[in-house]
Amino acid sequence: MFVTILDIIISGLLLGGIYALIAVGLSLQYGVARVLNIAHGEFIMLGAFLTYTLFTGFKINPLISLVITGPAIFVVGFFLYRTLFARLRAVAPTVDAFEGNSMLACFGLLFIIQNVAILIWGAGIKGYSFWAEPVSLAGAKFAANRLITLFVALGICVAFYFFLSHTRLGKAIRASAQDPSTAGLMGVNINHVLALCFGLGSLMAGLGGTLISISYQIQPTMGLEYTVIALIVIVLGGLGSIPGSFIGGLVLGLVGSIVTYIDPGLSLVAYYVIFMLLLLAKPTGILGKS
Amino acid sequence: MKARNNLGRMLLALTITAVFLAGGAGLVSAADKDKIVIGQAISLSGPLAGGVAISGGKIYELWVEEVNKEGGIYVKEYGKKLPVELKRYDDKSDIGTMCNLLEKLIVEDKVDFIFPPWGTAWLFAAAPIANKYKYILIGGPGGALKLKDLSLPYFFQVLNFSETQAPALAKIFKEVGVKSAAVIYRADLHGIEYGNSMVPHLEKEGIKVKLNKSYPPGIKDLSPLLKEAKSLGVDAFVAACYPDGGMLMTSQSIELGINFNAFFMTVLPFSPPLFLGTFGQAAEGVMGGGAWNAKSGPGAKDLVDKFVAKFGEEPDYWGGLYYWASLQHFKQAIEKAGTLDQKKIRDIMATEKFDTALGPYWYDKDRYFVNHPGEIGQWQKRVFEVIDPGEKRTAPPEYPKPEWPKKQ
Amino acid sequence: MSRQISNTHKIVVPIILILVLALLAAAPLFAPRYTIILMISIFMYVIITVSWTMFSGPTGYVSLASAAFFGAGVYTSALFGLKLPLPVIVPLGGLAGFVLALLVGALTLRLKGAYFVMFTFGLVELLLNFLLWWEINITGTTGRVVPPVSNSAVYYTMLGIFVAVVGSSYLINRSRYGLAMRCIGEYEEAAAHTGINVALYKIITFALSAFFMGAAGAIMATRWTYIDPHIAFNPLISFLPVLMAIFGGIGHLVGPIIGATIFTYLEEVLITKFPYYYMLIFGIIMLLAITYLPEGVVGLFQNLYKRLTGEKNGAA
Repeated sequence: MFVTILDIIISGLLLGGIYALIAVGLSLQYGVARVLNIAHGEFIMLGAFLTYTLFTGFKINPLISLVITGPAIFVVGFFLYRTLFARLRAVAPTVDAFEGNSMLACFGLLFIIQNVAILIWGAGIKGYSFWAEPVSLAGAKFAANRLITLFVALGICVAFYFFLSHTRLGKAIRASAQDPSTAGLMGVNINHVLALCFGLGSLMAGLGGTLISISYQIQPTMGLEYTVIALIVIVLGGLGSIPGSFIGGLVLGLVGSIVTYIDPGLSLVAYYVIFMLLLLAKPTGILGKS
Repeated sequence: MKARNNLGRMLLALTITAVFLAGGAGLVSAADKDKIVIGQAISLSGPLAGGVAISGGKIYELWVEEVNKEGGIYVKEYGKKLPVELKRYDDKSDIGTMCNLLEKLIVEDKVDFIFPPWGTAWLFAAAPIANKYKYILIGGPGGALKLKDLSLPYFFQVLNFSETQAPALAKIFKEVGVKSAAVIYRADLHGIEYGNSMVPHLEKEGIKVKLNKSYPPGIKDLSPLLKEAKSLGVDAFVAACYPDGGMLMTSQSIELGINFNAFFMTVLPFSPPLFLGTFGQAAEGVMGGGAWNAKSGPGAKDLVDKFVAKFGEEPDYWGGLYYWASLQHFKQAIEKAGTLDQKKIRDIMATEKFDTALGPYWYDKDRYFVNHPGEIGQWQKRVFEVIDPGEKRTAPPEYPKPEWPKKQ
Repeated sequence: MSRQISNTHKIVVPIILILVLALLAAAPLFAPRYTIILMISIFMYVIITVSWTMFSGPTGYVSLASAAFFGAGVYTSALFGLKLPLPVIVPLGGLAGFVLALLVGALTLRLKGAYFVMFTFGLVELLLNFLLWWEINITGTTGRVVPPVSNSAVYYTMLGIFVAVVGSSYLINRSRYGLAMRCIGEYEEAAAHTGINVALYKIITFALSAFFMGAAGAIMATRWTYIDPHIAFNPLISFLPVLMAIFGGIGHLVGPIIGATIFTYLEEVLITKFPYYYMLIFGIIMLLAITYLPEGVVGLFQNLYKRLTGEKNGAA
C-alpha cells in the first residue's frame, strides 16, 4: 500500500517537475512581459529537437546539451522581443490591446516555427534512448532518466528563485512585474528587462524541451499540448505568481498521477475539471492575491 | 515612423495580392491527354503527419516513380503509355479540410484517380465522397469492419485489421503456452475495435484476460497500466495503440525494467526507422501488427531493395507490401480495361485476380482484400518475421521474449 | 458629414445588399461546383466569427468556447441524424448550443478578463475528453455516422444561417440592446448602476451567439459523415474566429465578415498552391498584419477613406 502511494506521488512529481519548469517560463513571459505566448510550446519543441540533433548527430549527452539549447533558445526569444513585441508594445494604445495583439503575433510565430521545424527535421516522430533503466526507490521502480529530469528541473527552478531574490537583475524583474512605469522611474531599463524576461521564459522552454526529449518521443506538432498545460498551470498557481506556477505544476502532475491510477481514461478530464472548478472558486489561483 | 508604417502596409498588401493572384492563376489546361493525374489529400502537417511519414505515404511516391521509370501505364484508348503525376494537398491533420480538398481534387482539378488519406476514421469520411463521384478509392492505412456496413461499391479495403489479426494472435499465444494476458487500448476507433475483438478471441483459446482498460490518446504516462499488468502476473501484454502510445509504452517498459513473456502492439513495431531505429537491440522479440518481410512473396525483396534505395530506410512491414500490391493490381486493372473510365476499371478490380509482389491478389465480394501476406510479425535478429500459424509463417515465434537489455 | 452622403448611403447600400444576396442565392445554379464547396467553408467561418463578435465584440469578453457550441451542434447531428429530418436537426443543434451557453454563462457570471478566456477554453477540452470517456465506457460506441446531404442543401442552409446571424447582429447593434451591451463593455459596474441588468444581457447574448454556432455545426456534420468527439470539438474552431475578427476589425459589423472571408480564402489558396510552406507564409502574413494593421482590414479601409475625404475637409 505504502509502495503504491509512493509510486503515485513520485510519478506525479516526475511529470510535475517538467510542468513546473515550462509554466514558470510562461509565467515570466505573461506575468512580467505581458505576452500571452501561445507559441511557448514551439520553443519547447525547438529545444527538444535541438537536443535530439545534438545527441544523434554529435553524440552530445542531453544533460550537457542543456548549456547549448538553453542559451540558443534564449537568444531567439530575446531577439524576438526586441524586434517584434517591443514594437507592438510601443504602438498599442492600451495594455489590453497589447496583450491581444501580442497573442495574435504569437499565433503567427507558432505557424512559422512549426513549419520551419518540419522543413528542417521532417514531420515524423523521433526519439532516442538515454539512461532508460530502472532505479529502485523504497520498493517502487522508476526510470533513471525521468528521475534525473525531475532533479534537473527542480534545480533550475531553485536556481532561478535565487536569481530573482538575490540579484540586482532579479530585483529589477520583480519590480517590472509589479509596476512597470514606476520601475522605469526608479532607473530600471524597462525595455531591456522585459526583453530579458521574455528571453528567460524562452530559455526555460528550451530547457524543458531538452528534458522532455530525454523521456518522450518528439514531433514538430508537440508544442501546443505543452502550451495548454503551461496555461492551465499558471492559472492554477495564480497569474503573475512565479512561485505559484512552480507549485501549480507539481500539483497538476500529482493530480494527474492520482487520477491515472484510478482510471487512465479520466486523467485528461480531471485536469480540466480541476482547472475549471478552480476558476470558479478561486480564480486567482493557489498563490495569487485575491 | 509613418514612412515605415506605410512601407509595411504596402508590403502586406502586395503579399496578399500576390498570393491571391497565384491562387487565381491555376487554370487547368487539359487539352491533349498526356498524363494520368492522381490526387491525394493527406496530412503533411499537424499531429498526424508523423503517422503518415512512417506508414503509407512513401509507398505511393515510390510506386509513382517506378511506374514512370517504365514510361507510365499503357492505356489502349490513347494508344500509348501515360506517365503518372501525384498531386498532393495538405489537410493539416484536419478531417474537414481533407473532405474539402478531396472534393476539390475531384471536382475542380478533375484528377483521374485518387489515393487514400491515412487512418480509419479518415477512410470513413473519404469513402462516401469518393463513392458519390464514382471515383475508385483503394484503401490505405486503416480499416474497420464497420466500413462494410456503408456498402460503397467504389471503395476497396486493402489493409487487414482486427477481424483476422485477433484470432491469429490468440492462436499464436495458445501455441507458445501463454496462460494470461493484459489488454489495453487507445480510446478511439482503432483501439476500441481491436480491444473488443482481441478479448473474446483470447478467451476462446483459454487465455485469461486479467486486465482490460482504455487510455486517452493524449496521455503522458502509461506506467500505472504497465505496473498494474506486471503485478497481475500476466504472460502477455497486448496493446492496441498508435505510434505515440506505442513509443511511450515501450520506452517506459524498458526504463522501468518491466518484462513480459510476450509484448504485442498493433501499431508501431512495423516501422524500422521509428521502432528499430529508436530501440535497436531492445526490439528483439517484440510482436506487432503486420505483417510481411522480404520473404513474403515473389516481389517482396524487390520492394524492400527499391524502398531502401530511394528513402535510405526500410519500408513499413505492415502495410507496405499490401499497398504496393494493391497498386500493382490497380495498374493491371487499368491496363486490362484499356481506358481511364472508372466504372470499367472498378468492375475489373472487383472481380479479377492479378499477380503481384505478394502473389495472387484479389478482392472478395465485399471488396475486401483477403490474401494477406501475414497478420502478426515479430522482430527476430532485425527481421520482422511473420509468425502466423499456417503457411504464411516465415519463422516460428520466439517465446518468451528476451528481457529488455540493461544498458542502452 | 453632409446630408447628401448619408442619403445616398441609405439607398445605395440596401440595393447592393439585395444584389449580393441574390447572387449568393443563385450561385449553385451557375458557379463551378468547387466554388460552392469553398463558399460553404467560408460561410461556416463567417457565421462563427460574426456570432463570436456579437458577444465578445461589445463586451470585450474574449470567449474561446465557440468550438464547444459548434461541437454541440455537430454532436446533435451525430446523435439524431439518422432519426430526425434535416429541418429539425439544424434548429435542434442551435438549441443545443443555446442551452449549453446559458449554463456556461450562468456559471461564469463573475469571471473577468483572462479568467473568462481560460474557462471557456477549458470548456472545449473538457467536453471533448468527457464525451470521449462516455462514448467508450458508457455507450460503447466508436464514433457515429451522419447521413450525407447534397451540397446545395448544405449551401442554402448555411446561407440562411448567415443571413440570420448578420441580420441579428445588425439589428442588435442598432437597438438599445446593443447600446446596453457596449455600455457593459466600457464599464460594467457603471452600466449596472444605470439599471442595466448586466447578468441577463450577458447571458442572453452569449446564448444567442451560441445558437447560430450550434446550427452551423449541425449542418456541417453532414459534410464530414463520420463524427467522433475529436472531430466535433476542434479547438481551432475557437481560436480562428478570434483571429479573423481582429484581422478584419472588430469595431464594424463588416469587419468579422471580411476577416473570415479573407482568412479562409487565403488558407485555401495557400494550402493548395504551397502545401509544404503554407504555414510559414500564413504566419508571416499574420505577423505583418498584426504589426502594420492593428485596426484590422476594416481599419485600413477606414483610414484610406478618411485620407481621401477627410483631409479635404480639414483635420481627420
